[in-house]
Amino acid sequence: MFEITDIQRDYITEILNISMGSAAAVLSEMVGEEVGLSVPEVVFLPRRVAADKFDLNNSAKMSGVTQSVSGAINGDALLMFPEEKTLTIVRILLGDTVPVESLTEMEQEAMCEIGNIILNAIVSSVANLLQKEIVSSLPHFISGTGREIYAINAGCEDDLVMFLKVGFGLESQSINGHVTLMLNVPSLREFIAHLDEQINAL
Amino acid sequence: MHSDSNELGAVTAECLSSDTGGLFGKVLDLSEHGLFLVDSARKIVLWNEWMVQASSMARRNVIGRTFNEVFPELAGTRVASVIETALDKRAASLLSRSLNKSLFPLFSANGGGARKRIEQSVIVKPIECDGRDYCLVQITDVTPMVQREEVLRVLAREAEAAQKAAEEISRFKSEFTSTVSHELRTPLTSIRGSLGLVSSGVMGELPLEVNKLVSIACNNTERLLFLINDILDIDKIESGKMDFVIGPVDLMAVLRQALEANQPYGEQYKIRYVLKQVVAGVVVKADTDRLMQVLNNLLSNAAKFSPEGAEVEISVLQNGAMVRVEVKDSGAGIPLQFQSRIFEKFSQADGSDTRKTGGTGLGLSISKAIMEKMGGGIGFETEEGKGTTFYIDICEAAPA
Ligand SMILES: Nc1ncnc2c1ncn2[C@@H]1O[C@H](COP(=O)(O)OP(=O)(O)OP(=O)(O)O)[C@@H](O)[C@H]1O
Ligand SMILES: [Mg+2]
Repeated sequence: MFEITDIQRDYITEILNISMGSAAAVLSEMVGEEVGLSVPEVVFLPRRVAADKFDLNNSAKMSGVTQSVSGAINGDALLMFPEEKTLTIVRILLGDTVPVESLTEMEQEAMCEIGNIILNAIVSSVANLLQKEIVSSLPHFISGTGREIYAINAGCEDDLVMFLKVGFGLESQSINGHVTLMLNVPSLREFIAHLDEQINAL
Repeated sequence: MHSDSNELGAVTAECLSSDTGGLFGKVLDLSEHGLFLVDSARKIVLWNEWMVQASSMARRNVIGRTFNEVFPELAGTRVASVIETALDKRAASLLSRSLNKSLFPLFSANGGGARKRIEQSVIVKPIECDGRDYCLVQITDVTPMVQREEVLRVLAREAEAAQKAAEEISRFKSEFTSTVSHELRTPLTSIRGSLGLVSSGVMGELPLEVNKLVSIACNNTERLLFLINDILDIDKIESGKMDFVIGPVDLMAVLRQALEANQPYGEQYKIRYVLKQVVAGVVVKADTDRLMQVLNNLLSNAAKFSPEGAEVEISVLQNGAMVRVEVKDSGAGIPLQFQSRIFEKFSQADGSDTRKTGGTGLGLSISKAIMEKMGGGIGFETEEGKGTTFYIDICEAAPA
């Protein structure tokens, strides 16, 4: 397990919350209503441990958005919500509810865009912290059980992931999801080193 | 001037910008998507045929000019900002049609008719080549998808409205039934009372013929009242308004009372009720009146569907934590194809108007609902031509 200090954790959380703030501003402007986004928790854990800790390694249906990243870090960035929450988010944001049980093709596309805005904001803060470039690909909609999604790259359960909880504040309801970002150990070391530099510079 | 291993990004602006462009330009002109490329100076260096058609801007008017010059109306919008992000931060973006109602000012050349704005879905992707950064913008016409979903939306709304209407009608129907039944019950009760008095002779002896007619009237009024009470019970069960007062009940006492009450009915069908087996002093958890109602129905059914001169056997036995009451007849049995519907409302094996026995087919469905409410159950075993045994299971009260 990879431990970071409280100061490091607070610093990352703050940086991420700033970028979530701007992502929320973009979304609010697009839908013409107040949207809140926050990152209340960040941990670095092996993928398997993270999935267990947040009780995702089960047969509950999840859906969300994934995009792959390359450059300073390589892997996938995943934004996931319980399936019915994804439905709630999209329908509240589009303000046009269709009484059908699953997302239509165009609603999936809208969800991709929402996820894209959030993931790009997170990836770009990480890139800023690393002072390196991270290229991110186009977003894709995914759905499946927690177990299926977290076993996507079977055999890499021991890879470290940066795991963030994400809170979505919409119309006085708050919807919780999470983001996982794969980090390999060297890039994580580098990440922490840059973090310390910046903290020391404060 | 190009290397042999030419990738899209390596294709130079000059090659693509001219109307007589090279091979790659021609290929891109065949694309079903709008494609254009912006370089790091924000200048447009590629503009495919789809873009020419949809924007009505010829290549020579676009190539070499900046994105802002070509689309001044998009300054400060999300499209402009994601192009910046792609060039500065190498992040790809997707702009959905649902969250971005009108993206580019593009129109379909609708053969002669009015030109329609194209519904768009846009992706913006950074491309790096030979150390130079570009941003590819790809536009997809999603008009057909928008139309399909509009149809879907309308259909789904209609289905929802139909469902609401159906619920409304069913609510109205049950309200109507219960109101009418209530209104009928009061006058009927008084008619039965009056007829009863007249036929009993207290108003003076009646001529034989008249007395016959009055008894027929009396019996039929009785039947009507039973029917109305059954309908009201069903209504109460369905709306969850049937009240139960569940407490310890002396089962044998209730059963003896039921047998006594059904005695005259049994005589009418020329059958005999025989109590075969008892569990002395057994106490069950039930609502006395409702339990009586169930027993009455089973006993009257057994009488109705038994041959003349037959015996109907009643047994009480322990069945685990439950107490079972069985009513066994030697009637015709229940036909296989009817067995699965027997507990439904208004279901009778003989649905014809000419059937010999009275009743409305509500008894068993009420009995089942009552038994379930009391935490018990009801069931039957039957053999065609041999007879039927109906049984109920009732929870035994914990010994005090
Ligand atoms: N013991 C039985 N033997 C054969 N058929 C039976 C027996 N009990 C019930 N049935 C069949 O099931 C039908 C439904 O019975 P149920 O008690 O629900 O209605 P009913 O006796 O016809 O009318 P109601 O009880 O409402 O006066 C009967 O009409 C009959 O066809
Ligand atoms: Mg009956």
